[in-house]
This record gives sequence, C-alpha cells and structure tokens, in this order.
Amino acid sequence: MQKVNIFKISLTAVTFFITLLLVLAIGSLFVVPSLEDIRQNIWNAEMRYSLKLSLVTGLISTVLVMLFALPVGYALSRFHFWGKGFVKTIIDMPIAFPELVLGLCLLLLFGNTPVGKLLSALGLTFVFTKKGIVAAQFFTALPYAIRIMKSTFDYINPRIEFVSRSLGYSMAETFKNISLPLAKNGILASTVISFARCIGTFGTVLILAGGSYMKTEILPITLYLNISYGNMGMALTSGIVLMVVSFIAIFIFEKTEVGL
Amino acid sequence: MSFLGVEDLHIDLDEFHLREVSFGLDRGDYMMIIGPTGAGKTILLESIVGFWNPERGRIWLEGVEISRELPERRNIGIVYQDYALIPHFTVFGNIAYGLKKREKTGIDEKVREIATALKIDHLLHRKPETLSGGEQQRVALARALIVEPKLLLMDEPFSALDPRTRRETRRLLLDVLERRNITVIHISHDLSDAWALANKLAIFRDGVMLQFGSMEDIFRRPKTRFIADFVGASILEGTVVENDNGYCMIDVGDFHVMSVDYADKGSDVLVALRPEDIIVSTHLPVSISAQNIIETRLRRIMPEGRTCYLNLLAHETELTVLVTNNALYQLNITPGDTIYAIIKSANVRIVNQTR
Repeated sequence: MQKVNIFKISLTAVTFFITLLLVLAIGSLFVVPSLEDIRQNIWNAEMRYSLKLSLVTGLISTVLVMLFALPVGYALSRFHFWGKGFVKTIIDMPIAFPELVLGLCLLLLFGNTPVGKLLSALGLTFVFTKKGIVAAQFFTALPYAIRIMKSTFDYINPRIEFVSRSLGYSMAETFKNISLPLAKNGILASTVISFARCIGTFGTVLILAGGSYMKTEILPITLYLNISYGNMGMALTSGIVLMVVSFIAIFIFEKTEVGL
Repeated sequence: MSFLGVEDLHIDLDEFHLREVSFGLDRGDYMMIIGPTGAGKTILLESIVGFWNPERGRIWLEGVEISRELPERRNIGIVYQDYALIPHFTVFGNIAYGLKKREKTGIDEKVREIATALKIDHLLHRKPETLSGGEQQRVALARALIVEPKLLLMDEPFSALDPRTRRETRRLLLDVLERRNITVIHISHDLSDAWALANKLAIFRDGVMLQFGSMEDIFRRPKTRFIADFVGASILEGTVVENDNGYCMIDVGDFHVMSVDYADKGSDVLVALRPEDIIVSTHLPVSISAQNIIETRLRRIMPEGRTCYLNLLAHETELTVLVTNNALYQLNITPGDTIYAIIKSANVRIVNQTR
C-alpha cells in the first residue's frame, strides 16, 4: 500500500479550505434574499434601467475591446519591433492598477487636456456621461483581452502561416484564412472575459462617468448606491446578476482551454 | 549564372546567426544540408523563402535578385518536419490551398492527380489530425508541389517518420520530383537521405557553411576533421615524412600510409579513410596494385542491416571498414583474427587541420 503523503494531503486540504470559503461567500448571496424579492427587484424601474445600461455599454465596450485586442495581440505575439517591451508593460499595467486610479487617470485625460478638448469638439465627451462608462469599461477590460489574444496567437504554429505565405497569400490574407480561424477559441474566451470584466467594472466607471442615479447607473453602481441607502434587496439582486454573468463567462473560458 | 545563387548571406535572429553563406545551384539540383542542431539550417531555408530579411548578402533566383521580395511573390515551396498542415482544412483543402490563389478551374483534377501520385487520394476528405505521420508528410509535399514552385525547400521532412515509412516516402518523393525537374534544398541529419536523393551536399555548423560540393567531393575529400567525422570517415593524425613523384608518405604512428594528395614534408596532417574504401583480406596479398597494406587485428564486428562495420586495430590505431554480410560470411573471421587492410593511395585523403 502506498504511504500517506502528508505534503500532498495538506496542500489539497488548503485548496479545499479556500474553495469552501469562496463557495460559502458566493452562496450567501443566493441564500439571504427570498426568490420573490429578487423577482420584484428585477422588475423595479431602477434595476431595469441599470441592467439595460449595463448590457448595452458592456456589449459596445466588448466589441471595441475585441477590435483592438485582436490586432494588438497578434502584433505582440508575432512581430519584433522597437519598444515592444515598453508597449507590453504599459498595456499590462491596468491589470495591476487599482480601478480607481485608472478612472482618475482617464478623468484627467478626458478632462481639461488638449486630448479631452479635441475629443469634446468631435462630440466625444466622456466625463460624467454614458460614453464615459464605455471608455472606463474599455480601458479596464482591454489588457485582459490583449493578454488572452496574445497567448492564443503564441500557441498557433507560425510555420502554418509561413507555409500559407509561401503558397502565395499575403500577410493579411494569411491572417484571415489561417490565424483568425485557428484563434476562434481564444477569441471566444477573450470576448466572454472582456464582457464579464466590462459589466463588473466599478471604480473606473465611478470616477470617470460618475455614479448618478438612473443616468450613469450600471449594475455595480446600483449595488453600491443601494447598499449605501441600506436597500439590501436591490444590492443583492444586482450582485446576483453580476455573479451569474461572471459564472457563465468563466465557465465558457474554462471550456475554451485558453491560457491567460 | 546559377539557377539559385546565395551570396555572402548574413542573418541575425535572437539566438541564431548565419554567417557568410554562399553557394550556387543549377536547375534540377538536389542539395542536402547536413549539420548538428542549432547550425542555422532552418534559418537559411526560411530566409530563402523570405520569412527573414538578411542583414547582408543577396539571394538570386533565375537571375533575379529576391533578397527583399515578399515570400508570397517568390514561388518557393517549403515543407516542414512537423508538416504544418492547416488543421481546420481537409486534406483536399490543404492541397488545394495554394492552387486556389492561382487558378479558378481545374483545381479538382490537379489535386486528384498529385494525391494519386503520392498515394493519398483516398484521404482527401479527412482532417489532417486523423492521418499518420507519413500520410501528413505526403499531404504537405503535395501542397507544396501542386503550385509548381521554382524551388522546393524541405526541413527534415522525414525525421519524424519510422524507417519503413521513410524509405517509402523517399521513393515517392523521387518519383514525383523526377517528373517535374524541381530544384530542391533538403535539410536532414541522416546521411542515408543524402545518398538516396542528393547530388550536392553542404555541411553546416554554428551558422557557418563548412563545405559545399558534390556528394562525391565531400565524402571523398572532407575539408575539415569535423566534416570527416560527420560523414563517417576514420581520421588518423600523422606527419608527412616524404613527398615526391606526386605521393606523400605519412607516418601515422603505428604505420605509414601513402596518399596521392599533396602536403609539405614535415607538416602535421589529418588523414581521412572512408570505411567503404578499405578492402580486407585474411592473407597478405602478394601482387596487388594498392600501395597500402596494413596488418591489423579484428576487434569487433558491428552488424548494420545488410552490411556490417569491422573495427580493426593496428597496434593502437583504429580503422573502420564497411563490408557486406555476404563478404563477412566468405571471409569467415572472428574477433582476434589477423586481418590485412588494403587501401589505394588515391583513397587516402589529407584533410585540413582547421576547425
């Protein structure tokens, strides 16, 4: 009989302990409110507004994020260029950055700087507007999407692309015929993670777009506003909706077997 | 002017460097590149196809300089060791891929024709992942050949195949190539590929082409000790003790050998002897044209398929001899027996001391 391995058992026990703690924490979100409360809260005007705004901004941001993540991820994976290390560091920075600080940076940029003024003149005002929500979500989710896309392209054998070019196809045609179809799992993973990240963005949105009731109110803001009024039912309902979105996203992400 | 000319090519990639590579091939040549891993062989192929831009030097194809041309405009085919088949296409899709860029009609027939020649016509509807290594390699070959490239480059195309599949694929490749008169550059680490397919050979090491020439040249006249070792010759160290009438007498310690190669008297040289150039006899031959007869003792017999290597010892100097199993049977020898090694002085090659 194999001897009991204390090291293995203790590490597994720690893993289970922390998982249990998380399950309890997540579970309490679902245990505390009654189903009837949730149903009522979902149909509440504020919740409907917030849910709709979250979905619309989240979808727009996700599309924008992917439009940038695809080319940037491919460039970072395939090309050697001057300043690549610097570019990677800057692009990754928001991952480690507190959302509030990112929000502050964006607020300053889109505020009274020449960039902000130029964008304003073009009709793109981000400070305390719904467009600000999209901008905040975009910059928060972008680094995750780029990372997933880069590692997706890293896993595609560049020789398949080489062969395609030797057979007469340009770099752009090869990208369309070979790289994009082979990256479809990564694109799916990147899209769901971006969407979950967009929907859940709080700090950045709060600072850049403000947390105005029924104006720039998205789900995390609803949670925050309601908890400050002591309205637990609404707070929990938005929490549950956010949790479900993240759960679905992570579930799909795991299925795609793409590395982060 | 050569059909393909590579002139003073220098390539610098992160960990790989290629230095001063120059050679020329005529149309229909089959060049084999041999060398240890990390010698820069793949980088050379990939720069000829156009994936890497040379730091210095030029590449010419049919009299046109292509060093800065895009890969898609060069019409040079490449086949990799790992096949690099497009996984989301069927075998048909893979083979037809390059053709679709060039032609609108007749694709079906052409795919079927080359698939039949390479015996993969029954696999056209399958996905690459369901095929064996040998089948995948033939699909990769068909895909490269169907567009009639000016030049075909192959990077260790057989190294992932078992010996039987390897022989079979080699034979099919030869059949297909003969009909098309395609110029080929082929990387391999197996000398049997070179014997079976090539007429030109290049030896690479550490990003430098050590020697380029006909098969005969390199096997009979390796330029350096490394090459001689690499192509399987016995190497003896010696000093030239006499040199006249077009002969050199070389003292290799335990005996003297006569060579028709030239070296200065008193100079230290390396002598290369090819295992298949040495004749063995159990009796001292009395009247024979060969100038070198060396008394040795048989140390070991190493079977190798239909042939075997004999390991002979002349005092402390080792010689390797290749004989057929049939000859070995007729000689009826066992380790410990006295054997006379007979070598023509034309087969005693003086090798450079460099590298």
